[in-house]
Amino acid sequence: MSRSSIIALLVFGALLGYFLSFGPDTTRKLQAGVYQLFAPFLNSGSGLQKQITSVSGKLKSLEDLEKENTGLRVENRQLKATNQALRDVEHEVNRLRHALDYRERSVFKLVAAEVVARDSSTWWRTVTINRGKEDGIEADMPVVTDEGLVGKTTTVSNNISVVLLISDENCKVAASIEGSREQGIVTGERVANGLTPLLDLNFLSKQADLKPGQKTFTSGVGGVFPSGIPIGAVKVFRLRELDGQAQLTPSVDLTRLEDVFVVTGRKDRK
Amino acid sequence: MIFFFILLLLVSIAQVAEFFIPPLPWLFYAHVYIVPVVVFSGAVMLPFPLMLALSLYAGLLLDALTVQVLGSRVEISFGSSILVYAVLAGIMHGLRPLFVRGRWEVHCVLSGICTSAIILAQYLMISFRRGSIFFTPQVWWQIGGPGLIAMVISLPAFWMLHWLARATGYPYLQEQTRYRFE
Repeated sequence: MSRSSIIALLVFGALLGYFLSFGPDTTRKLQAGVYQLFAPFLNSGSGLQKQITSVSGKLKSLEDLEKENTGLRVENRQLKATNQALRDVEHEVNRLRHALDYRERSVFKLVAAEVVARDSSTWWRTVTINRGKEDGIEADMPVVTDEGLVGKTTTVSNNISVVLLISDENCKVAASIEGSREQGIVTGERVANGLTPLLDLNFLSKQADLKPGQKTFTSGVGGVFPSGIPIGAVKVFRLRELDGQAQLTPSVDLTRLEDVFVVTGRKDRK
Repeated sequence: MIFFFILLLLVSIAQVAEFFIPPLPWLFYAHVYIVPVVVFSGAVMLPFPLMLALSLYAGLLLDALTVQVLGSRVEISFGSSILVYAVLAGIMHGLRPLFVRGRWEVHCVLSGICTSAIILAQYLMISFRRGSIFFTPQVWWQIGGPGLIAMVISLPAFWMLHWLARATGYPYLQEQTRYRFE
């Protein structure tokens, strides 16, 4: 081994030791810094991805138009393009109106955010949103939509944050069940069996006997998630050796998240 | 040296791109990993010190963008990916003479195996932390799937980087003669 390789190995070892000695706070700070550095690329990448999806949709309609007769082709193409554009606008308006309505009627103080990137790793279920410390967001704040609970913030930098989804095994939420006194802890699954993740509601009593379709809500125990936010509906209830466990379908379609709200507190009632 | 900086840039671009590539439904929702392919390509083209530097950068990025800090604990120690990358890149680097002779197929297969090894290492670490371990067919596909994809994309990646090395005048091919006549 050459002298330069030995020196490189020693420097590498020293740096590795330095990084391995990082505690949670230092790790969070470094992560926030790296996310801040990548924020412009993640934001612009999200926009680019939307444009590509939109263009590919239009190309498909052009292909269909070729099959129609020549006289109608031009007119049809124009109409379809206009229609598509209007549909996009309508979808956008509906989405934002929905969001605005929810924000108005919600009892929580909400910060609206857009999902800019999805989890890039195999074992963690996260999304990245375009809001951060500058918008009053901190770590461990609940993230919701008008349909229910999405997850909680973990790494927060100035204008970008990472949200740990409820479908992640590490996201534990205290839950209560509609029409029952039962309480349990909802967690995600380590490995999803399909695109739509399911949640596990653990530590129920053996007598719980939950029925499919029964709704679950956050119970407020634990301090992170306020009570009353929908989590999901019971899909199946099964008995285990010591307790009962239910599998839930999440209230929110976690695979199609576009806009979310970060709960920063409760509104003052006058 | 220009080639090394190009590789650093490519690692950064690949890392951002991974955020926008959805998991593949036809491969049990396996994720597509491009960064390991770039790093392992670099490992066979770069000298040992630069190979270590590239592993350090890639591992640092991976940990910074994926590792979860929950309350007062870090799920996987920050820096563990650097170690995993360095060990695997070291293995690839050890087979460099074969690559320089033009035997790319060995490294394409190894790129896939090493990519899966990174995901397996992560799985073992989180299983240890979470206190339970299981290996279902889904788990194996989540580990093996990205490796298969990496094997497929490593060939064009090696070709592209080989072309880039030539374009930037990077002299790794000068060793070709040495290995051939040794």
